[in-house]
Amino acid sequence: MSTGALIFMLLSWTFVLGLVSWSFAKILRGQRHFDPDGIGPASPPVPGAAEDPRR
Amino acid sequence: MSSPKEIQQSNEAWGSRIGLILAMAGNAVGLGNFLRFPAQAAQNGGGSFMIPYFIAFLLLGIPLMWIEWGIGRNGGRFRKGHIPGMFAAIWKHPAAKYLGVVGLVIPLVVLSYYTVLMSWTLAFTWFSLTGGYWGNTTQEAMSAYLTSYQMIGDDSVHSNWLPFLFYVLSLGSTIFVLSKGISGGIEKLAKIGMPILFLFAVILAVRVFFLGAGENGVSPIQGFQFIYNPDLSRLGEASVWLAAAGQIFFTLSVGMGTLQTYASYLSTKDDIALSGIATAATNETAEVVLGGSIAIPAAVAFFGVSGAMAVAQSGSFNIGFVSMPIVFQGMPAGQLFGAMWFALLFFAGITSSVAMATPIVAFFREEFGYRRETVSWIVGGVAFAFGLLTIFWLQHGMLDEWDFWAGTFGLAVMAFIEVILFMWIFKPENAWRSLHQGADIRIPTIFKFIMTYVTPLYLGAVLVAWLIQDAVPTLLLERAAPGTEFYVQASRLLIVGIIVFFLVMIRLAWKRNGYDDRVGFREVEDTPLGAPTYATEVNR
Repeated sequence: MSTGALIFMLLSWTFVLGLVSWSFAKILRGQRHFDPDGIGPASPPVPGAAEDPRR
Repeated sequence: MSSPKEIQQSNEAWGSRIGLILAMAGNAVGLGNFLRFPAQAAQNGGGSFMIPYFIAFLLLGIPLMWIEWGIGRNGGRFRKGHIPGMFAAIWKHPAAKYLGVVGLVIPLVVLSYYTVLMSWTLAFTWFSLTGGYWGNTTQEAMSAYLTSYQMIGDDSVHSNWLPFLFYVLSLGSTIFVLSKGISGGIEKLAKIGMPILFLFAVILAVRVFFLGAGENGVSPIQGFQFIYNPDLSRLGEASVWLAAAGQIFFTLSVGMGTLQTYASYLSTKDDIALSGIATAATNETAEVVLGGSIAIPAAVAFFGVSGAMAVAQSGSFNIGFVSMPIVFQGMPAGQLFGAMWFALLFFAGITSSVAMATPIVAFFREEFGYRRETVSWIVGGVAFAFGLLTIFWLQHGMLDEWDFWAGTFGLAVMAFIEVILFMWIFKPENAWRSLHQGADIRIPTIFKFIMTYVTPLYLGAVLVAWLIQDAVPTLLLERAAPGTEFYVQASRLLIVGIIVFFLVMIRLAWKRNGYDDRVGFREVEDTPLGAPTYATEVNR
């Protein structure tokens, strides 16, 4: 396998595996929603980490 | 106003966030990830194809993914899980709902032939387990075996009822899952089907990697060389950029109307920014890492580089249904690996086919008050009738015709309409605010510019190129095989009939429910839609 092909393969794999790891790590870390009875939250939900409070 | 209890009974919701993402990814991951991608990469410059591919992913794929999640969740605020309602919620104009007809026609048409393709994967899972195609070790023999099953070749190999049996099983399982609802059916299927799909794909990729050199003395590692070897001179060709944009477009299942329906069952307290990225990334992993590591490397090891090139150019279905069975016959425990390969494709197919039927079920449930089970089985009946026609008219070009107008060109039209509606009519500020409601990440501001200007221009260019290159010649029957003109025209007439039917149903729905296009829908308040909807996983 040529160096060029190896570089392109590794870059492609690193990009998609990096993206999927980053996104799922963030999702699994941030289980902020909780709704025990399926009707509504026991307390008001915490605003999203990226939500702008001025809006 | 309905009580929350009544509304909860009439609404559906996701049981967990992981379930939602798996269902969204299941919708996106389809046959194309494992069959179309490696062939496209190999044919369009190898490693250098990945440059326009990832550029299209960033400028077209991810923005469209967010736009569709945004349109869907915004529709959910008004309890609209179908495209006509979602478009009307964004644009208070009488034309908006009629533009949304594409979001009902495309899923029904694609569902009708997609379940037929799915039935082939189910049948070949069975043939692999039972060794049905064993002994057909040449491309010609295996091709004859396939065409016999498709009832377009020698009919002495298979019983005539066999394709219908597997078709009924495939469509029946799709409709059964659909009739169980979002969390009770689709989410459960995704939670079971997606891990199995990934497990089988990883096992197959590892198996292929350790195949060893075939009769030609070529190892599967050369298959990676075949896919990724950069030919930078091809970067100057417009066709390569168009192929990359097309692959990104198809692989993410945008323009179908299905992502929006799934997203409509989320509330404004739920994140869509991070979930959208996670869905796209899961699909890309299935495509680039796994899809590129199975079929082409195996073909290179068995048929040599020149043979694999011929295989890649013979089309995605030949790779999957002709070349791969030959490969499995040549490896130890080939029956098991063959069954895994086709079961993988079946799971990729069924998680997509249930998604296709969802917008239609949502339309009739929400606007006409029909029960989910009833609508699901009626949609199944209609798809069955069209599917039978697809089987009988396969050799007359019906599948190709429907796939082009609904499954290819229609998707680009739909995506273009929704980009314009969400980013230009709804306005970039509203779209941006909507995407960030409940968001777990802040989308880089550059994407606001990309989604407003770059994505519509990119998509417009792709649409114009397809129009000139493919749509006009197809419309003028320049590509129809001799003797198929009647069937091709009849296939088109059927699509026109479906469009007219849904336009009438939209008109009736608006009239029946007394919607005023200029006023818009009443927002649903104090309902489960106002609360996070995928909320119970912490408790499980």
